[in-house]
Amino acid sequence: MTQEKFNFTKAYQEIEEINKWFQKEEIDLDEALKKYERGMELIEKCKKRLKEVENKFEEIKKKYSIE
Amino acid sequence: MKIETIKIEPTVEEKVFTVSEFLDFLNELISPCYAIVQGEVGEKINSYPNYIFFNILDDQGSVLRCFAWREVIESLGIEIEPGMEIRVLGYPEIRKDRGELKFQVQKIELLGEGILKKQYEILKKKLTALGYFDSERKKPIPRFCEKIGLITSKVGRGALKDFLANIGNFGFQIFFFEVKVEGSFAIYEIKEAIEWFNQNLPDLDVLVLIRGGGDWESLRPFNTEEIVKAIVSSKIPIICGIGHEDDETLADLASDLRASTPTHAAKILNESWKKAKGNIFEIEKNLNILFLQTFKGVKEKIDSFQKDFTEKIEKEILTKQKRIKELIENLNLHFTNYFQEFKFLEKEFVQNFLKIKSLIWQENLKIDRFLKELIKNQKIWEKKIKEKLEQEKEKLSLSNPILKLKQGYSITFDEEGKIIKNPEKLKISQKIKTKFYKGQVISKVTEIEKNDTRKI
Repeated sequence: MTQEKFNFTKAYQEIEEINKWFQKEEIDLDEALKKYERGMELIEKCKKRLKEVENKFEEIKKKYSIE
Repeated sequence: MKIETIKIEPTVEEKVFTVSEFLDFLNELISPCYAIVQGEVGEKINSYPNYIFFNILDDQGSVLRCFAWREVIESLGIEIEPGMEIRVLGYPEIRKDRGELKFQVQKIELLGEGILKKQYEILKKKLTALGYFDSERKKPIPRFCEKIGLITSKVGRGALKDFLANIGNFGFQIFFFEVKVEGSFAIYEIKEAIEWFNQNLPDLDVLVLIRGGGDWESLRPFNTEEIVKAIVSSKIPIICGIGHEDDETLADLASDLRASTPTHAAKILNESWKKAKGNIFEIEKNLNILFLQTFKGVKEKIDSFQKDFTEKIEKEILTKQKRIKELIENLNLHFTNYFQEFKFLEKEFVQNFLKIKSLIWQENLKIDRFLKELIKNQKIWEKKIKEKLEQEKEKLSLSNPILKLKQGYSITFDEEGKIIKNPEKLKISQKIKTKFYKGQVISKVTEIEKNDTRKI
């Protein structure tokens, strides 16, 4: 894993924080633009992740035997 | 459970053992025979600080001598008592010092709902006191679980089926570790599974330990100290969904999150994903609205500022223009006053000039008249002046030296014609000239007498 793996939980949380941030009284415009772009990027990633519907099921083949 | 049948081949060769050797030989053969044996605890229980000896019997009068270390009893939670129906798990061994068979007990299981409930209560109290169920101990379950370690049985009452049927298709990665969930070996397998996941897949979001409903005896593995300890020591958080809603096992209490059933466990995992799927578009919309509002707000601010600014500037310009106008008016007024004053002065000056001119002219006239008068009276003046001069002449003649000479005085001069008043300056033989009224003489100095004139 060279690239940092997309973490849905973190991304979703960040999006929520950005939304919260935008509800502040005083907003810095440059910051707003950055946050908006970041938010949109994360939303796209989250949407993409949410489209993945197929679960993967893998059975662990255990070697041990107690009997 | 499997009990191997031991076949001892008849010894072909005559081999003579010592007693010890023979018992060692037998122990080697029988000790791998792990078994679970059920029976009633006999009357005679020899309890020592570190271990315990007791018998289990059956209704046919058979007796099995059992040995257990104290920790086996401790993990049971309660002391064993005569008459208890129990199962012992362990292996046989011959005591070499007594030549007796003993059953080395590794685990004891109690039978009968009554005693199990009692054991449950005792263990619950003990483990609660030890802090195993403390909420501070519980690990948080990630909000969105993606990688799940599933621990349950393939068979049984359909816990696996229920879980898989209810877990939504949200792209979960499920790693399934099959274990027994009932019987004496269940504890070991579940423990093994928890440890395996922690060692081999430590980045899992959550472990899900589930089992379908059952009676007290079938849920027994989930009410043991071993399972509680295994759950608590897992670094990966664990969700337990065991039995029915009313079944609260010790495993449930130790878990980081308790689901009432396997279906419930699946629904818990679905919940946040379901919400996110529904909310993500809403969130996107909201963010867009908020962003636009922000920019709208800023634009409004700029517009209003611009308006304010323009108004201010215009006002300022108007004020300045008014001031300048006032200044010009003031200046004009002043200049007009000055000009008027100047004009007046000029007029006054011209008038004065004329006056002076007339005065000069008049003076000129006066002088002219005076001069004419003067010329007119010239002869009279000439006569008057002549008369005056005569009078003065007479006055002057009275002081003339000639008159003195006439009276007999004389004047002596030196050779250069200077009048001699003091003879001391003269030299002997110097020529002097003496003037008289009529004529003069030149004489030589023969003697000089100093004389004080004042004495004469």
